[in-house]
Amino acid sequence: MSRALSYFAAFIGALCAYFIIHLFFSTHVRTMRNDVIQGFLIGFGLAFVTAQAYARIKAVKINGWITMLGLGKPGNGMFLRAAHAQLFPGPVNVPEEAMYWWTNADGAGGALSGRHDYVMHFPAGQLPPNDAFWSLTMGTARNCFVPNPIKRYSVSDRSGLLPSADGSIDIFIQNAAPTGHESNWLPAPSGNFILWLRAYQPGEAILDGEYTVPPVVKAKIP
Amino acid sequence: MTLEHLLIFGGVCVITWLAFIYLWPSFILRVFKRAILVKGFGDGPIPVNTLCTEPQALFADPIHPPASASKLATTGVNRDTLPTVGWLDLYKGPQILHVPDMAGRYYSVQFTDPSTNTNFAYVGKRTTGTLAGEYLISGPHWKGDVPQGMKIICSPNNSVLVLGRILVYDDSDLPTAYALARQIQMVPFAGRQSSQ
Repeated sequence: MSRALSYFAAFIGALCAYFIIHLFFSTHVRTMRNDVIQGFLIGFGLAFVTAQAYARIKAVKINGWITMLGLGKPGNGMFLRAAHAQLFPGPVNVPEEAMYWWTNADGAGGALSGRHDYVMHFPAGQLPPNDAFWSLTMGTARNCFVPNPIKRYSVSDRSGLLPSADGSIDIFIQNAAPTGHESNWLPAPSGNFILWLRAYQPGEAILDGEYTVPPVVKAKIP
Repeated sequence: MTLEHLLIFGGVCVITWLAFIYLWPSFILRVFKRAILVKGFGDGPIPVNTLCTEPQALFADPIHPPASASKLATTGVNRDTLPTVGWLDLYKGPQILHVPDMAGRYYSVQFTDPSTNTNFAYVGKRTTGTLAGEYLISGPHWKGDVPQGMKIICSPNNSVLVLGRILVYDDSDLPTAYALARQIQMVPFAGRQSSQ
């Protein structure tokens, strides 16, 4: 979750609280117009803070990956819908159709950046279980595609990933091509980036929360 | 602060708070509505009750979108499915969704109520399979006979966002996926009756 947005929401919350307390102890002569305008502004501020806070409560964050259950399901409640609008602003699928995870941080909490090399390690048989497809897609910090010499914007069950000798799959997430591992390279920009993991028609293990997405790990410098 | 002012301030504050929380999803969907009906994927607006598939060129080269494409076609990173979108207005009568035989390929057509951003129905591999079919999409107050062999999807709202996703296996598969996506179409129910 964007740290800047968290601070902004906290700031708005504090501002609203300050104004409410201030109003109670203010001895100024009040007009009805003031009541309405201030009530509207503070109500709006509190709605934003509530939705942001609820999004953070409902979001599931494991190994740096953020996801949320119940999106797009009829009858999921107005607070969850408002939280959805904050965290995944769009008409996304219901969980049974597709699950999405995104991250802007590695497993240790550091911001993902093309200045470092990363590896995502899926142990044998631990790819996201699904009945349709899975994919890992690269985005800039602003959620746009990343230009790269091999025109590869994602890796997936269709992109010819090569397993290691033990059946596990390593995905090399870095700015420069990894020598000897080109087929498992997901090109990163030089600056900060985000990752999207998708599993369409996700398996039971995803829907009941049993499956955990492995962390993106900073590669050790040899 | 006197009680009178407290009540006015508090009342406005709580109503605004609840209203914005309740309406937030619809604000976001309004952006999508505008993008569909005003700008589209770059080939101009997508008329109401029509589905439009993302052009192959934009999917193949997402780095250089045409300047005329709406923000919705150019933000977000998706390299898996070819989207096909449309905005329905069911006030004047139902629409018929036609889907071709997808030959086992993953696809889904999502029906979203824009007032809550929730998906009240799906047509696609998970819910209806990949054979060809026709579905009657009606508004909440429509009454009539559903033609034989057609399933009905009753929308809770006369406005509906339709979002189709068709899996693209790889670059060489793009023309095939595109041709299939183009065959997912909306036809007015009324027009269909008079032509028969």
